Amino acid sequence: MKNFNSLLAAYMVFWAIVFIFQFTIARRQARAEAELEKLRQQFGK
Amino acid sequence: MSPNRILWLVVKLIAALWMAAAGYAIFFVAPDESTMHAIQRIFYIHVSSAWTAGVAFFLVAVGGVLYLIKRDPRYDWAGLSAAETGFVFTTVVLVTGPIWAKPIWGIWWTWDPRLTSTFVLWLMYAAYLLLGTLVDDKQRRSVLRSVYGIFAFINVPLVFMTIRWWRGQHPSPVIAGAQPGSGLDPTMKAVLFLTWGATLCLFAVLMRSRYRLEVIRGETEELRQLAEDSAVAPASNRPFVSAVTPTGFAGRG
Amino acid sequence: MASNSQSASDARVPSASSTSFTSSSPGSLPLLTGLWAVFAKEVRTELRTRELLVTTAVFALTIVFMFSFSFDPTSEESRRIGPGLLWIAFLFAGTLMLEPAFLREQSNDTLAALRLAPIAPTAILLGKMLANFLFLSITEALLVPVFAVFYNVSVASVLPGIILVCLLGTLGIVIPGTIFSAVTAHARMRELLLPLLLLPIFTPILIAATEATAALLSDPPEWPAMALRLLAGADIIFLTAAVFLFDSLLEE
Repeated sequence: MKNFNSLLAAYMVFWAIVFIFQFTIARRQARAEAELEKLRQQFGK
Repeated sequence: MSPNRILWLVVKLIAALWMAAAGYAIFFVAPDESTMHAIQRIFYIHVSSAWTAGVAFFLVAVGGVLYLIKRDPRYDWAGLSAAETGFVFTTVVLVTGPIWAKPIWGIWWTWDPRLTSTFVLWLMYAAYLLLGTLVDDKQRRSVLRSVYGIFAFINVPLVFMTIRWWRGQHPSPVIAGAQPGSGLDPTMKAVLFLTWGATLCLFAVLMRSRYRLEVIRGETEELRQLAEDSAVAPASNRPFVSAVTPTGFAGRG
Repeated sequence: MASNSQSASDARVPSASSTSFTSSSPGSLPLLTGLWAVFAKEVRTELRTRELLVTTAVFALTIVFMFSFSFDPTSEESRRIGPGLLWIAFLFAGTLMLEPAFLREQSNDTLAALRLAPIAPTAILLGKMLANFLFLSITEALLVPVFAVFYNVSVASVLPGIILVCLLGTLGIVIPGTIFSAVTAHARMRELLLPLLLLPIFTPILIAATEATAALLSDPPEWPAMALRLLAGADIIFLTAAVFLFDSLLEE
């Protein structure tokens, strides 16, 4: 198949972008949850 | 486990399976295109990402309208989640486009109206995502975002109309608005819709996880507001001077 | 700050809750009267100092002048690139001019007073829009002859067409511009944010206006029916969206 590498690259890029996005969400989520937990403890006292 | 979580687990599973099926179809089922060969298979990812982004930006506008009517922050959060996810899919379109264009057209980028309008779309939603960070007041932020989401969306057809009138070398539409006789091969069409369905499913999963983040942020913001209010309250009992002296300034001086 | 003013207005006028600011409320002035009042106030304020007009005109002039360094302004080149740079200059000038449109109100919190007046938000925004439209049109009227002289383009023979393009294009700049000037009044880095939001929105206006101007300036001139229709369509669509959004913009 001609240009097969380009096709594979495009397919990989698609998944890479999706996973990077999912990863940034997870990281932001962890940070937000940590802050929420901290605030909750502040209020618990 | 709540029924909601089980439902989303099922959706996630379906998305994974569907994406796998689409991937198989793209590589092994779709017929080889006679002039472009393998590279033409980018088409399925490229076009379904573009359509998914279109759906996402439509949801942004709907979220904006609902927010302005009902003033419930959840609509704004949904709009924001759809915008960010749609932005990601637009990025996919903008990256896979040049990979396809290079071997076929010989150049990575051309200032063709459709490329340009996709890029305008990308810029508009980049601005949409940025403006959230620049407005501190919760309500004002939501209003601004909703209004911009609506305006950006109604702008899309105007931008796209320029394709029809000042068109360039981009292949003309093959599904909607196609000229008779230039239609897509039925198998190709089937693979395209299969991929689009899978992409939409993936979009739903991503958008939902982005939405959950916004819910937590909303809670955090509320609690922080409460914390600030309760921190200010005792300060008012202190002598007036100490409450207004900019201590940070004095320390540095 | 605005929430304070809102509560203050509530205290002074008990019935002036958010509902009474909508255009249908019995206490408010008719739409056109209110619109005219706001428009007249804007024009009067501007005529007192003329600072906005003068600054914008000089700024646009500077852009047009600076562009002449970026290419060789022979008449052939100018005909090709000129319309585009003219509209870029208008867009930049318009975007910068729209920034103070609501900041002016903020410095003395006169927006609260405006909201307190029996004028519908739609009338306030339409009045401001009309004033901005007038100011930008004046700037353009000053700039087009200068452009024609600088770049050796003859506009006299196609003046009606140029005026029509300018009016439609200016409307397309001013409608979204006024709205986003209103809603970004409290944003940080507003000077950067407003152009960032507006310029991509202006894309169809820029393309159509440039195409129309280029067609008019080509030799022989062509009537840009398609581009004019697109401009008019964009204006109508923007205005419709604007009217629907107005009521929710100024109430807080």
